[in-house]
Amino acid sequence: GKVPASSIIASAPSEKNLDAWRESGCRTTHCNLEVLQESTLVFLATKPHVLPGVLQEIRPAVGPHHVVVSLAAGVTLQTLQWLLPAGTKVLRLMPNLPCVVQAGAMVFTRGSGAGDEEAALLKSLLSSCGLCEEVPESYINIHTGLSGSGVAYVYLFAEALAEGAVKMGMPGGLASRIAAQTLLGAAKMMLESGEHPAKLRGDVCTPGGTTIHALHQLEKGALRATVMNAVEAATNRACDMAED
Amino acid sequence: ITASSPDTDLPTVSGLRKMGVNFTVSNKDTVKSSDVLFLAVKPPIIPFILEEVGPDIEPRHIVVSCAAGVTISSIEKKLSTFCPTPKVIRCMTNTPVIVREGATVYATGTHADVEDGKLLEQLMASVGFCTEVEEDLIDAVTGLSGSGPAYAFTALDALADGGVKMGLPRRLAVRLGAQALLGAAKMLLESEQHPGQLKDNVCSPGGATIHALHFLESGGFRSLLINAVEASCIRTRELQHLADQEKISPAAIKKTLLDKVKLESPSLSMASASKVSLFTNKSPSSKKN
Repeated sequence: GKVPASSIIASAPSEKNLDAWRESGCRTTHCNLEVLQESTLVFLATKPHVLPGVLQEIRPAVGPHHVVVSLAAGVTLQTLQWLLPAGTKVLRLMPNLPCVVQAGAMVFTRGSGAGDEEAALLKSLLSSCGLCEEVPESYINIHTGLSGSGVAYVYLFAEALAEGAVKMGMPGGLASRIAAQTLLGAAKMMLESGEHPAKLRGDVCTPGGTTIHALHQLEKGALRATVMNAVEAATNRACDMAED
Repeated sequence: ITASSPDTDLPTVSGLRKMGVNFTVSNKDTVKSSDVLFLAVKPPIIPFILEEVGPDIEPRHIVVSCAAGVTISSIEKKLSTFCPTPKVIRCMTNTPVIVREGATVYATGTHADVEDGKLLEQLMASVGFCTEVEEDLIDAVTGLSGSGPAYAFTALDALADGGVKMGLPRRLAVRLGAQALLGAAKMLLESEQHPGQLKDNVCSPGGATIHALHFLESGGFRSLLINAVEASCIRTRELQHLADQEKISPAAIKKTLLDKVKLESPSLSMASASKVSLFTNKSPSSKKN
């Protein structure tokens, strides 16, 4: 929302990926070099194994005025900087799926050529898609485990909540919508109040009431440890894949 | 302060004597010369004590029972045959009163005034934390802070084992473990922050503590503690029901117990609050302050 569509140009080998861009009013092309020629801020959004080839291709057209932002999972700043001209302003960005509804969680990290201005520019642009924070590169894989993959954990939890409700007699469609709204509302309270989630949890638990009985079930199932295991597994996998 | 016990051989008796407490072997004498009566006997003995001292109870007396599972109404019922409006307060404390860090709650009976409750609160506040509650919460309090020290001792024993496993001498391990829990408890009591926040404050990213906590979570540490409090509370209620339903006949209690009403410091009798044994070797007693 911060940049007019006419200022955006997208490039892809095949037509189908470009339709969505065209529909928003952006310019499109099949030529990567054209993007470099027409733009200052360039986002590289290819699959990781394709990226090195793309970098080789655009390298001649990359200049000191360009700001190159890579979204490719597992491709390190070191690799990016090695494949681009020395001193190129390079940044790495790791978003998550809900960016598409402007409720994303994104982290970015800057390479040696990128300065405060570039970081501020990126942060300001991306904030329209959700939360955007600068981090050290070592946090990127953790972000994957927490929030990149984390979205799937939430879907799983939502599905389970709804199933519980269905078991107790509620129709599935309604249960699903309520489950989603519950997660949304709780998350909103957490973000807006700034209070510790443990405190917010306590606030919901009346003595001897329904909530504390339910929470006991969750603790019996060691839900906390399981979730920690999930974040750890995804983070470790991200690290392993990066090395491949 | 007057304390009474017909059996003078008990170690608690000499302990009390050393403190300078007036000592007598007659429960009746202590009732006559006191205003606040602490009944520090085992629960099944309560009815017999009440029978014995009932006739001497006057409107001025405040009868405080620390007996687990013995309801205010059962005491009032027993005493009402002797005195129309007996002042009864029920309390539940825990063993750390010994070191003045007890956790005590009390519930006031039908005829006990606000000032009576406040008096008790003042007395018990000198040995730790004391607050008033509704009587129906006393079982939950038993589960949490009555039994709580036992959970803590178990944890400390295990923490010390961990220390020893990793190379610490046992005495040092015990000392450090206890201090760690003491310090943590103090921080929590003195802080406005939620324990979850205090926990976070100790966990540096990727550090030792968070790795350790993950193990605790994997073991279901939290649910074990919830289970423990629940089990203790439920068992307290069960025992209370058993006591309510059964009339314990004099024949079921050791003759020696009945004949002698013994003295015992309230803190020691509280040690059994969470594991009420209906038949015990230790003689019950009646004591007043």
